[in-house]
This record gives sequence, C-alpha cells and structure tokens, in this order.
Amino acid sequence: MTKIDIELRYERDRWRARGAGIEIVHAELRGIETLLASQLATERTPLDVELRFDTAALPRWLLQYHGHYCNYVLHVPPRGAQA
Amino acid sequence: MSTNRRWNSGMFATEDWWSVWIGLALFGAGLLALAGLDLVGWMARPRPWEWTDTVSAFAWGKWFAPAGAGYAGWHPLVSWLVSYAVFTALFAVGAYFQRLSVRRFVFGFSALYVITWLAWIAGNELHLTIVNATVDGHNRYREAALSWGLQLSEGAPFLLALVAGLAIGNFAKGFAGRLAEAAKPEWYIKTAIVFLGVTLGAQTIQASAFALDLILAGAAATFVAYLLFWPIVYTVARRMFKFPRDAAAVLASGISICGVSAAIATAGAIRAKPVIPVAVSMVVVIFAMLELIVLPGAYTAFFPDAPVVNGAALGMTVKTDGADAAAGALLDELMNARHLQLTGEHWQVGWILSAAILTKIWIDVFIGVWAFLLAIVWIKKVEQRSGVVSISPMEIWFRFPKFVLGYFVAWLGYLAIAAAWPAGKPLLASGTAVVQGPMRTMLFMMTFVAMGTMTDFTKLKGLGKVALLYGLALVVVIVPIAYAVAYLFHHGLMPPLAP
Repeated sequence: MTKIDIELRYERDRWRARGAGIEIVHAELRGIETLLASQLATERTPLDVELRFDTAALPRWLLQYHGHYCNYVLHVPPRGAQA
Repeated sequence: MSTNRRWNSGMFATEDWWSVWIGLALFGAGLLALAGLDLVGWMARPRPWEWTDTVSAFAWGKWFAPAGAGYAGWHPLVSWLVSYAVFTALFAVGAYFQRLSVRRFVFGFSALYVITWLAWIAGNELHLTIVNATVDGHNRYREAALSWGLQLSEGAPFLLALVAGLAIGNFAKGFAGRLAEAAKPEWYIKTAIVFLGVTLGAQTIQASAFALDLILAGAAATFVAYLLFWPIVYTVARRMFKFPRDAAAVLASGISICGVSAAIATAGAIRAKPVIPVAVSMVVVIFAMLELIVLPGAYTAFFPDAPVVNGAALGMTVKTDGADAAAGALLDELMNARHLQLTGEHWQVGWILSAAILTKIWIDVFIGVWAFLLAIVWIKKVEQRSGVVSISPMEIWFRFPKFVLGYFVAWLGYLAIAAAWPAGKPLLASGTAVVQGPMRTMLFMMTFVAMGTMTDFTKLKGLGKVALLYGLALVVVIVPIAYAVAYLFHHGLMPPLAP
C-alpha cells in the first residue's frame, strides 16, 4: 500500500487539490476524487490518498472558533481492479 | 499552509493552544507563592468608588490598586501599566506564533485593554453595584447613604463592557475594523476558562460532593440534550425549510450543539463546501450575542430560585464558548445580587458560572466524537462509499478543544497540590487568588468588549432563511428543551453560602 499526501483548499467556488506533483481544480469534491484516482492510480499497487484540508483557506475570524476542517483518506484501487 | 498531520500539529500556531500556554504560565507564576514568591500581585484590581467622593478628592487609588499585598506600596498607575505590559507581551507572543500582524494586534489589544478598563472602573461605581441588603447586621447600601442604585453587583462592569463593544461594532465600524486583529473573544475566554480551572479546584476543596454532582449532571444533561436537539432541528431544516442534506446537517449542529465549532466540525465530517459553515457561523455569532443580552436577565427575573439550573440551561443554550462564559458570568452576578436582595444571604460567587461552563465544556469535548460518528454514518449510509473513503480516529483529537486540557490541568493540579501539602493550602489560595480573581475577570471583560466589536447586527440581513430557522429553533426547541433537561438533572442543586 502506497500513501500520498494531498493538500485540499476551498477557493471561492471550487476545490483545489495539490501535492505529489499534481494540481487539480473542480467545483465538487467528488470531481476532485475522480480526477485524483484517475491521475494517481497505478497498475498494480493500491493507493491511500490522504486529503488534508488547509485551514488557512477559511476566513481568519472563523479560525478562533474552530481551526480544523476535514482530513480523510481516499482509497484508490489499482487500474486493473478498477476495470 | 496550515494542515493537521501529527498529534502535536498547531501547538504553537492556534489560539486554542495559546490559551493553554498563557493560562498555565500565569497559574504557574501564582503557584510560586508556595515558595514565598509573589509574581502575580502586580495585577491591578478595580475598587468600588462613589462619584461625589471621587470628584471632591480625586486619587487614582480610589479607582484601582495592586491586587497583591506585597505590591501595596506601588502607585496604582504603575500597577495598571505593568498589567498592561505583561498581558500585551504574552498575547503578542501568541499572536506572533499564530502569524497575525503583531503591530495591528498590539494596537487592537491596547485599545481593547483601555476600553475594558474604562468599563471596569465605571462599572464599579457604587450606584451601579451595591445591593440594598442587610448582611450580618450591616447594610452597605444605607451606610454609603446612596439616594438611588441599580444594584447590579459585579454584573454592572460586564454590561458596560458589552454596551461599549456593541456600540463600536455597530456605530463605529471603521474603528471596529482596526481592532479586528485583536478581536479574539474565544482566545481571551479560553484563557480565562483555564483560570477558572483553578477556581473549580478551590471550589472542589470547599464542597467536593457538590462539585462532583455538578460535573456528572453536566455530562448527563449534555448527552441528553444532544440526542434531542440534533434530530429535531435537522428534521425541521429538511421538512419545513427544504434545506439540502448537507446544509441541514451543518445547521442542525450549529444551532443545537455548540455553534460555530460544531458547524465547522460537521461540515468537515460530511465534507460540505466551507461556504455553508461560514454562512451558518455568521448567524450563530450574532444570535449568541442576542442570547447573551436576553437570557441572563430573563432567567434572573423568572427563576431567581434555580441558580444552578439556570447556569446549566445557559450552557446548553448559548452557542460559542465566549458568549456562554460571558452569559454565565453575568448570570452569576445578577443572580447573586438578586438573591442577596431577596434574602440577605450571599451565595458563593462562581458556582453558577461553573455550571454554565461545565455543561459547555462537555459539549465541546463531545463535538469531536460526534463529528467522527457523523462522518462514518455519512460515508456508510448517506453516500454509501464505505470502501472508497475513510476517516481516521485522529480526527477526534484534531477537533478536541485544547483549552479544556488547560482547564483540567489547572483544576487537578490545584487539587493535587492541596492534597499533597495540606499545610500549604492558605499559600496556595492566596497565590492563585489574583489569577482566579482580577486576571480572570479582566479577560472576561475583554471578551465582552471584543465580542461586541465583532457583532454587526446588520449582517443578519440577507441571511433570511438561515436566520429564520435559527430564531425559530432557538425559541421553540433549544431554550425550552435545554431548560427542561437542565431542570431534570440539576434541580435541587444550590450553591453553598458564602462564609
């Protein structure tokens, strides 16, 4: 199992995922996940993509109330298994 | 970039952690009294004064003086300036590590400090504070020969601080904007809550069974309230207001659990777009201010014989830690003044506030667990993507409010020292008296002012449906159920009488 770290931000009206040499933008998180899966999937090895939200993207006045948003793991199967 | 990766992420980068460091540093300084060192007695403390007396013969010492006996020879202004310098330096260091603009922070903090002290001094004028009651054969109101009095006790400075903050936030918006870097009510109140851990330690020694009752009842009441509030508000948001599932979940958490923090935690858990919790948070902050203005006075007027029930009900009703603690402090003072007026008896100050804080702290602690469970339910049942995405249990820790650790360390630390060295109890009490007295009160006062400066009621315009749901849920669901649950678990509990 390979692990990859991706930083997630929300900018105005779209999500931006950056890390592991790629940068993806999409209006929906599901769209980001699909694009990540298609770009990162390998032929044989399953991947765990750790998506960590950059809290600096939240309005600054809000951070004093809660400084954490969402971290989660996207499990990407090998291309062979996807087919 | 600021992401949570390890268990110690953000230890020097968030106001939550900085409230722990500053709170425990000053608690530690107070503990040096055990070694014969008074490192906190320089703190200025306002004094009760009467305006005709002050006008006829002015002296700074009539308004404030150093709190520690060892500093009694200091000029009051020196004490005030040292207090300013120490608190500004401590918070400016925290601001630096949080990557705030230190220059703008120090400007804002200085302005808030001055406004706080003006309100604090003015609020200690006898016509505002002193209660017309005979205690042990003495009636201080009559002895002061006052022709009138509002009899608000220590609630008067809190109310003045709130009015000053709201006036700036709503009528001097340019100035409020210049204070924004230092308008951190959550930071100030969380630091004050760490100090309150010391108070709870002292209270636990005086009345351990009552303190234990309060802690357990608070936890149970919080749990019951969760189970009732959330599904009701979620259903109303979905069925009556036709909100989509993600918005309804965020709203239900924000309205029914612990406001902004719950809204953000829930939005993160269900991976909603951050614009949803941001909109909900704006409404929560403004309504929390309305709750702070209305509820302490209303509970004092309608339920003067149920002090602990009132405190616990506040803890379950008022969202945001700052507004809850501020409302609890105000309720404590108003209820005590009212009880003194009615019976001539003094309750020990601080128990009603502790009831409000303890209930809220349990809510804060549970929010991480709640968000984690909600995330699992969302992935498995709503999105039905069990094998595709998962959430780590570390999320509970990332969401855990760290200032609670400071509160418990101060509480249990105080108890441990008192248990290990019973002969040192008087030194322990006197050394920490300044921390849990004027230092804590000043940070409460700054919270009132800072909250006021960042509350702009005109922002409610344009948030129509969200604001309407919030108002409706608050009046019809939250306030009555919170009071009923608080009554169920706390009725009969009364604060011990002051010696």
